[in-house]
Amino acid sequence: MNTSQRPIARKAGLVIQEVPDEVLVYDLETNKAHCLNQSAAIIWRSCDGNNTVSDIAKLVGAQAGGKVTEDFVWLAIDQLSENRLLEKEITVNFEGRSRREALKKIGLATMVAVPVIASLVAPQSALAASSCACVSPGDCLAQTTCPSTTNCNGAGVCAP
Amino acid sequence: MLSSIFRQMPLENSPVFCAFEHELVFESYGVRVRIEASDAVLLEEAERRARKALVDNVRRVDDVDTERSFGIASDVDGTLHLYKNGQAFTFDRDRQRFFRFFDSLLRIEVAEHAVGWVFIHAGVVASNGRAILIPGNSFSGKTTLVQELVRAGAEYYSDEYAVLDNAGLVHAFPRNLSVRYTEAGSIAERDIEVGSMGGKIGSSPIPVGLVVLTKFVEDAAWEPEVLSIGQGILETIPHTIPRIANAVHSLKVLNTAFCDAIILRSSRGDAARLAPTLLSFF
Repeated sequence: MNTSQRPIARKAGLVIQEVPDEVLVYDLETNKAHCLNQSAAIIWRSCDGNNTVSDIAKLVGAQAGGKVTEDFVWLAIDQLSENRLLEKEITVNFEGRSRREALKKIGLATMVAVPVIASLVAPQSALAASSCACVSPGDCLAQTTCPSTTNCNGAGVCAP
Repeated sequence: MLSSIFRQMPLENSPVFCAFEHELVFESYGVRVRIEASDAVLLEEAERRARKALVDNVRRVDDVDTERSFGIASDVDGTLHLYKNGQAFTFDRDRQRFFRFFDSLLRIEVAEHAVGWVFIHAGVVASNGRAILIPGNSFSGKTTLVQELVRAGAEYYSDEYAVLDNAGLVHAFPRNLSVRYTEAGSIAERDIEVGSMGGKIGSSPIPVGLVVLTKFVEDAAWEPEVLSIGQGILETIPHTIPRIANAVHSLKVLNTAFCDAIILRSSRGDAARLAPTLLSFF
């Protein structure tokens, strides 16, 4: 792994809300929501383009009250990158191990909670939270209270 | 001022032109909406439906500019045509189904653009001054669970929307319960008045006490997992109507509303068995 990389947290197009011990991020471009646990949040905030992975590991250790390895930071960066929460995508190589294997090793070696990012995609339209929203006619078959059960019109509604 | 006398109708089977000679503008939850109609009877019915859709939180205002409008026109064979913000949206010959759909669209339009409010697609009841929120999509079993909670003694707030103010308090949106049932192989809906079930309707704004993220699964056991505030909000975001129109405000209000709440996630089986368990929290 290239330890000289200095990741930068993405800020544009994101809505960020601090909640107790977690950070919520809503990506306006992808309608994806993320919940970063405390470790992931500290690492994300430390990605300022100046800190190296080694620097970030020290910062996390100081803030979380326990020693963490660079692998610990890479685990977070891997998830941040995968979820487009960094300015530039970073490919992480856990020295031939899978992320799962790396996670197991890191989890056993630290008292600090491993970084976790939970994500889900929200429907693009508010209509999707209700009935009658559709993408294809098949979506309308069971929506018998809508204007049409066979047609999904140009507005994305089960209607003529 | 009539903003649109003639509109081109691009949908197939639509008449080429239609006159909107009647209109009104109302405000609901800070959103101004113009309704135009081809005749006075249609406009009257549209207004009646709008009042019902928005639980009478509708105030007529003087003619003002608004970017949100609905147009309703009837053609010679009685087909009703619906326009949204100047664009042909749909048409239907079944009057009842047409207005039910209009009701649904209008609610979503107001819910998405409400000023100072956050609408969450959720069932809501109250017990001892605390709200129990059940966010979920249509067909997730919200109404059934709300119905059983009311039967078990909870106050009814809504089976459609949790309406949160800026302080995170939940306000009642007490439409009649909309219960789906199967008839001749098709799904139909009927409205049930809460009073007819012996239920009471809540009126005071109240804090959120419990958030229940659940979905009906036949024979499923109720094995709840306690979620953190962040995880609870994450799972509620897809049901938060203004999350795109006003994401900053939505997240802030959700955070305020959920900060003292217990948040549980589990599949559920029989709603009647679960209701007393949920009410036992308060």
